[in-house]
Amino acid sequence: MGMAETHREAFRDEALELLSELESALLELEYRPDEQELIGRTFRAMHTIKGSGGMFGFTEISDFTHEVETVFDLVRSGAVAVDKELIDLTLRSCDLIRAMLEGDGSADAETRRKLTALFRDIARPGEPASLPSEDSAPATEGGSAAGGDVERVYRIRFIPSRDILKTGTDPALLLDELRQLGSCTVIAHPERIPRLDELEPEDCHTFWDVLLTTNRGINAIRDVFIFVEDDGELHIDVLDTHVSLSEGSTGKKLGEILVERGDLSSEDIHKALSFQRRLGELLVEKGMASPAQVESALVEQRHVREVQQRRQSNEAAASIRVSSERLDKLVNLVGELVTVQARLSMTADHRCDPQLTLLAEEVERLTAELRDSTLTLRMMPIGGCFSRFTRLVRDLSGELGKNVELVTCGGETELDKTVLERLNDPLVHIIRNSIDHGIETPDVRLAGGKPAQGTVRLTAEHSGDSVTITIEDDGAGLDGDAIRAKAVDRGLLNPSAASCDKELFSLIFAPGFSTAKTVTGVSGRGVGMDVVKRAIDSLRGSIDISSRRGIGTVITIRLPLTLAIIETLLVKAAGESYVMPLSLVEECIELNRVDAVPSSGNRLVNVRGGIVPYVSLRDSFNLGGAAPDIEQIVITNLSGNRFGIVVDSVVGEHQTVIKTLGRVYRNVEGISGATILGDGDIALILDIPALMGGTGPQ
Amino acid sequence: MSTSNMADAVQYLTFRLQDETYAVDVANIREILDFTNITKVPRTPDFMRGVFNLRGSVVPVIDLKQRFGMSFTEKTANTCIIVMELHIGGETVVIGSLADAVQEVLELEPDRIEPPPRIGTGIDAAFIRGIGKHSDRFLIILDIDRIFSFDDMSVLRLEDEAGSGKNE
Amino acid sequence: MAHTLLVVDDSASMRQMVTFTLKDAGYEVIAAAHGKEALAKLDGTRVSMVITDLNMPEMDGIELIRQLRSRPGCRFIPIVMLTTESQEAKKQAGRQAGASGWIVKPFNPDQLVETVRKFVK
Repeated sequence: MGMAETHREAFRDEALELLSELESALLELEYRPDEQELIGRTFRAMHTIKGSGGMFGFTEISDFTHEVETVFDLVRSGAVAVDKELIDLTLRSCDLIRAMLEGDGSADAETRRKLTALFRDIARPGEPASLPSEDSAPATEGGSAAGGDVERVYRIRFIPSRDILKTGTDPALLLDELRQLGSCTVIAHPERIPRLDELEPEDCHTFWDVLLTTNRGINAIRDVFIFVEDDGELHIDVLDTHVSLSEGSTGKKLGEILVERGDLSSEDIHKALSFQRRLGELLVEKGMASPAQVESALVEQRHVREVQQRRQSNEAAASIRVSSERLDKLVNLVGELVTVQARLSMTADHRCDPQLTLLAEEVERLTAELRDSTLTLRMMPIGGCFSRFTRLVRDLSGELGKNVELVTCGGETELDKTVLERLNDPLVHIIRNSIDHGIETPDVRLAGGKPAQGTVRLTAEHSGDSVTITIEDDGAGLDGDAIRAKAVDRGLLNPSAASCDKELFSLIFAPGFSTAKTVTGVSGRGVGMDVVKRAIDSLRGSIDISSRRGIGTVITIRLPLTLAIIETLLVKAAGESYVMPLSLVEECIELNRVDAVPSSGNRLVNVRGGIVPYVSLRDSFNLGGAAPDIEQIVITNLSGNRFGIVVDSVVGEHQTVIKTLGRVYRNVEGISGATILGDGDIALILDIPALMGGTGPQ
Repeated sequence: MSTSNMADAVQYLTFRLQDETYAVDVANIREILDFTNITKVPRTPDFMRGVFNLRGSVVPVIDLKQRFGMSFTEKTANTCIIVMELHIGGETVVIGSLADAVQEVLELEPDRIEPPPRIGTGIDAAFIRGIGKHSDRFLIILDIDRIFSFDDMSVLRLEDEAGSGKNE
Repeated sequence: MAHTLLVVDDSASMRQMVTFTLKDAGYEVIAAAHGKEALAKLDGTRVSMVITDLNMPEMDGIELIRQLRSRPGCRFIPIVMLTTESQEAKKQAGRQAGASGWIVKPFNPDQLVETVRKFVK
């Protein structure tokens, strides 16, 4: 997908760079043919192009470069001397590789063949330049290879080299890996562990028998031991599990197993059997087999029996793939169910029938469980989204002559699929801004005592029912004075207004703040941070900014886990129902006229000594009618800013299945959607940030 | 030939707004419902009556009369919501439209339909696809795609435009 | 706690690919362009695993492995080499120097993560 193409692009850029370096090295080499440093540089450049080329799917380039590399390896070891011909040849190779990189495939096949032959001739003089020495096809991955698909039981004996720990390999991890291949029984053999006074603590004395039932094939098992089998011992046998049970027996006898493994000879068994006791006990008692050997064989017996039993019960597959369309449908249906359940609960409340109430409560519990597990189906890790930004950062920093590293953290954090999709553009915009306006050029950074390379750190983490995403840069930070000047200039701020940094910074989210900025080609393409804010608002999220001059800027985005169903507070005003996200609600209090602070434009209320601005829904929405004697004020808290909404009455908490208002109402201010109540009526979902925005500086 | 005439003929649903009869291609009609509770969405023009619950979906309702500059549609025994389905920009949009009364479904051959007149219908000619003639009655066939084209209708712009019946 | 891995490769694209693949898989990554830089960056930091290219300027992979194995904190950590098919001799040299395993280029991101999971839990 996109990531692979990103890597390919990165390789292409790098290879082109290497080629031009290579050319200058070659030209120098012509005058100083013995200089090891230059030869080394040439070799390494070819080696990198070859290795990375193969990595990113440029097989032909990789194969060809291999020829050149081989020759320069010989040059390095002194077996081949540098002369003008070799330099010419290598320079032509550079041109060829460049053409291949640029996708000019058809023209260079002939050149490639010629050059390949010439390089081979240098590498192996006299030998006919024929077939390539190595297989150019990429190595096939283990598992799909021979022996796959059919479930088999394998008996694996693994005797690691005593030095295995010193090469950084932990045998326990290898065994864990085997466990992932299938059902697995591991028996450790301690019999080779010496007495404590002879024990070399850094050596490995244990070996293992493993019984593994898997359909992955023997190669998948060998792959587990790929790094250790040369130094240690590895025996893998396939056990035949198909005969026994059908014949009504209980599987292989203990003696047969021990003989098969070579732990004992069949004579030994016969001898032991003649004593007519339990074979295992006898063998141990007579010192013919160690307890571990017998135990291991017994375990095998059990393991095979289990496999056979399980095969008979024929277990179903563990996981299946489902199209997102069907998933969406399921989510919609669950949404409907939640709505109907709300109605059922309401009906039950009215009927005062204990049996019905009980049923309704049961349905409520089940629905909640069903809802939660359904919503998790739509969750996807944010990492996929993050990884797309690597290229962006790379390109932008290149374009702007800056050195920027993108560090991501928390890629495994999961968010609703829809939220993720709609998050991409805002993040792109923020990262652009960080690099364009935040991170300084390397010389400025160095002069300021910072490392030349700037860092943009992208972090995602769960916090309660929301996800926090931070975009942090170690750039110049925001200039509060400049923002103030600009805001005053744009009419967004009263020149005499005293504002703290936080307030000033939040102005960059105001519509019209950044639109008139000079277009740098990177950011400032006429869209400002207000677009970002609107996008985040539409996801029911919030965005915050903090910044320190010279230190950097942190943008924090908080998003709900899902867009489908939320907990809300149901309120009424002028006979209409409204809901608002419960996560934003701080408290509900009676609006006491005495506490209402009369003021010219904005309305303010005194909540326990704090002055909180508020709006009345009735006024704000022109609902008409007379307000009741006692109104309620719902105090919301949006990233630290308190804001009140005056309603006629507060009904209570409500499970809200969010419905969009559709295209017709897409521009409505203050309403972000609708939901269907238990009685079938519709309640509108209040867009608190928008309502709050309406009270700010216009 | 009669078969080809049959193939060309289009069925229309006719309904009444005030005293005039209007028609819409039945291909766009999903269902017809009795007038039900409509929730007004604040800060929107009057002709956007609000949203209603259509078996679990939230569907917008438009007052066609007000859209055409006529009066507010009151609730009577005959008032209906005509639920229509439109295809706009690749997506299906469901929208309800108020009518004073629904009349019948009838078939009209294309040669019974004349282009919209420049004047004399009382509503914006841009909204009219043609004038149909059916047993001595005239039907105003509406171009509902145009009426409900949302770029025209996005709320903010409509606030300037609402009621002015401005020509395009 | 995420494991920290040290990635050493002189090819920027390889480094990028390996780094981001591993970060994507949930590991912390320290990246270096050659052995010297790797040792410098490592300093006191404890890493759970080292993934290193062999051919590099300044200090190659073999020497890096040798040096790491002589450091107390790195004696038993897994070290995986990135090699190409043609480097059989190098591979052996790496084993002798104390490498735990190798990944043959070209490899895809899944293979890389698989190999890392082999060594780091």
